[in-house]
Amino acid sequence: MIFRSYCILAQKAARVLVSGKHQLPTCIWLSLRRSASSMAVCPVLSVQPTRALVDEKFQIVVRNLHPKQEVTVHSLHHSEDKDCWEAFGHYISDENGTVTVMEDASRGGTYTGTEPMGLLWSLRPIPGSRHGLRLRKRNVLSPMVVNISVYKGHMNQGFSEEAALATVVTERWYLAPGVQRVDIREQGVKGTLFIPPGPGPFPAVLDMWGGGGGLVEYRAALLASHGYVALALEYLTPDKKRTLDIEGGYFEMAYHILQSLPQVSSDRVAVLGLSFGASVTLTLAAYSKTAKPRCCVCISGSHVQPVNKTLYEIFQLMNQSLAKARIDENNHVIWRDIILPIPTEPDLKVDVGKIKCPLLVVIAQDDQNWATVESTEDMEQIMERSGNRHLLTVLSYPDAGHLIEPPYTPHIRFSKFINQFNRAKVMMLWGGQTKPHADAQEDAWEKILLFLQKHLYQDIPPAAKL
Amino acid sequence: MTWTPFYLLECQLRAVGQLRVSLHRNMCNRQAQVRWRSGSRPAPLLTARPTRALIDEPISIDAHHLPSHTPITVRANLTSEDGDLWEALSHYHTDAKGALNLMRDPSMGGSYVGCEPMGLFWALQPVPGSREGLRLRKRDVETPYAVHLSLLEGFVSPEDTRGKGSEEGQELAKTVVDRWYMAPGVRRIEVRQNGVVGSMFLPPGPGPFPAVLDLWGMGGGLVEYRSALLASHGMASLALAYFGHKDIPGPLNRINVGDSYFQAAFQLLQKHPQVCEDRIAVMGLSFGVYLSLRIASQLSVKPRCVVGINGPLGSFNTFSTEDGQKESFEENQRHWSYDEQGYVSFREVSSPSNIPSENYAKVEDMCCPLLYIVGEDDMSAASLENADEIEKRLHTAGKSHLFTRLSYPGAGHLIEPPYAPNARVSLWTTRPRQLMTLWGGHLAAHAAAQKDSWQRILGFLECHLRGEK
Repeated sequence: MIFRSYCILAQKAARVLVSGKHQLPTCIWLSLRRSASSMAVCPVLSVQPTRALVDEKFQIVVRNLHPKQEVTVHSLHHSEDKDCWEAFGHYISDENGTVTVMEDASRGGTYTGTEPMGLLWSLRPIPGSRHGLRLRKRNVLSPMVVNISVYKGHMNQGFSEEAALATVVTERWYLAPGVQRVDIREQGVKGTLFIPPGPGPFPAVLDMWGGGGGLVEYRAALLASHGYVALALEYLTPDKKRTLDIEGGYFEMAYHILQSLPQVSSDRVAVLGLSFGASVTLTLAAYSKTAKPRCCVCISGSHVQPVNKTLYEIFQLMNQSLAKARIDENNHVIWRDIILPIPTEPDLKVDVGKIKCPLLVVIAQDDQNWATVESTEDMEQIMERSGNRHLLTVLSYPDAGHLIEPPYTPHIRFSKFINQFNRAKVMMLWGGQTKPHADAQEDAWEKILLFLQKHLYQDIPPAAKL
Repeated sequence: MTWTPFYLLECQLRAVGQLRVSLHRNMCNRQAQVRWRSGSRPAPLLTARPTRALIDEPISIDAHHLPSHTPITVRANLTSEDGDLWEALSHYHTDAKGALNLMRDPSMGGSYVGCEPMGLFWALQPVPGSREGLRLRKRDVETPYAVHLSLLEGFVSPEDTRGKGSEEGQELAKTVVDRWYMAPGVRRIEVRQNGVVGSMFLPPGPGPFPAVLDLWGMGGGLVEYRSALLASHGMASLALAYFGHKDIPGPLNRINVGDSYFQAAFQLLQKHPQVCEDRIAVMGLSFGVYLSLRIASQLSVKPRCVVGINGPLGSFNTFSTEDGQKESFEENQRHWSYDEQGYVSFREVSSPSNIPSENYAKVEDMCCPLLYIVGEDDMSAASLENADEIEKRLHTAGKSHLFTRLSYPGAGHLIEPPYAPNARVSLWTTRPRQLMTLWGGHLAAHAAAQKDSWQRILGFLECHLRGEK
């Protein structure tokens, strides 16, 4: 009992020290109750490495347990929005009193089975949190701090009231050391540029997100950490006047700014977009006379988008189609049917038959936000007829949802969404089941990096020369 | 999406040229792009993982997209806290695919030869033209070293990199790695309590933790980095000052503390609520070995085990129980020796034949295991002879089973945590005149000794601090 109350007090002190940067005054040494003499040393928890990029794996080992002891390995993260996220797995130590997360199976918790990274991708808001949260890093100059702890027994709740047996703090970074971050505000183009260290020149990626809008930097930061100059582009904001100005020339200008940088190899620029950003990518690749990407990546996107319209007009038309949106039994909004059936009129979808560069399309079969499966089928047919089907690679993931993010990002099946155009707030259903979605993110990212490396770094002539 | 005719974009494009100029001004130096900008070949890619590691963690460095079978220099440089530039350079040939992998490929020359994945770190040396007698030691353990790794064209030597404008030595690629002494969540606590002066490092979590009392030598002051690293491995650690520190009363050139001070320090550690009071080790380097042996044999505290690195079992100057030594360190000068360059070696000061027998620690009264580490090229302490003497005394007392010796040929006095460069010679003092002291140790052999001994020290501590007695 004495030990328990001391442990909780010490753990609370430890939590304060870990989350804030307070110093434990030395006088407290004398006033806290002493640990019992000859008390067994607590289990040893090691996480390697303690500081890593977000797409790197870690290895978690717990030693010094009793043989066949039941323990819970737990992760805790305090987000920038001050929410708490947690994940946990139930393990039983082996005959040496060791748990190796990379090799042993979790028997319960937020993930099961042998899942080295389950403690990250199954993170979810703790009970009592606000509804509809999504975990997204805004400040990429600081790491995501995750506390990994081990608890006695198989627990499912009440982690904050219980004393952990051991805790390790890990940092997950979007940015490698030496990568520079530069604000871009040029010729009406707004974005953030990430430049790897070194003389370059480097291949580059124009990085675009979707209808959620704003300036989202983390994927571009991660791409720069892999050796690409990356420009995270903002093109959708609540500022209606600004949206009115955005049309094709905006994206071409952004592309040109990127391409013209002294650090960039001008003929090794790719465009990568997710959701609405994927549609912009396809439009750029098919129609632009100035932007000639070496390759393109489209994640959770569709070619169904009115051609020859400004952004404003596109959103106006989309708003009219919102009547086709459905609501599920939980009041989550499903936008999936808005673009169905896939139109046959040529001015209602991008003519992907005109694309002359390699194209990687990544889609999720449980995408509840956009009809990407049907769109991709249609794209394949168009490209087959046009003779450029060989440029297309499709990665299609069963039971994954719309938000295919960098690996180990927690799966979000639904979240609060603000329609940038009409400012309506809804609870948007993205789809996907946690484990298949996590697998999709990990596999897709690996293949995206290989695709970019192949077409931007390796000395393969661009498809246009064929 | 509507598309503005290209000619309208031209005006805007000219303005973009201004952006290029302004970005140029803000960017760091631009080198050798001409031969790469034609677009026929992208710049090579240099990768080091993990990008932010602990000082004792190896990293893998590789490079891709270089021409095949081409001479390349890989360079590391680091700016110390004192503003000195340290550099290591090594020469490689890329393979048939134009790749380089330091885990697999041998260096042909430069700062080291052979397959040395971490050579760029342990072979760092001050660049030509630097001040003499430098030693690389981190004072602020709460920030990392940033090491810049680059690929240079051709085989480049340290003198070449100082010149400008030559084709050879152009930087082709770069990456940066952070090297930390402290893991995230480790807490540093300044200790000024009960007269004890030190810095305590606690691992994250509730504990309780085993602990280490960490002692250095007659360089004095307060050296924190080994303690920070121990805490990053799950052990609480108290780096203790006992000599040459402004917060310890008395003359700076004398040890003004005695047994009661070390007893108080050990007990302070024991009393910490997050420390297991009966799972504490004492570790010492150089003179710290004598202190560690004295603590383990003559004081009433009971360490669980002792680690000694290159130090004596006795003190040349008599050490009292209460107030340290009567004489100052310089008063044993008659045993200092000088080489042809005027560098001083303190080796004979710690030779057992020069130490009065009444000044020996009573190692025969020790009850805990001792790991003793010898650098066979130690020029600052008579480590081999002291190891022999300790072993002999323990054997006589029937306690041979307590003694483990690790002996490293070619290693010098300063056997420190791995991948840090050895200083064979460094500045000892500037008063009354500049004096350099010899530590010994040959670069590659010393590096191997640091790597091996650190693993063994951690294993020894794990075994004795976490296992049963």
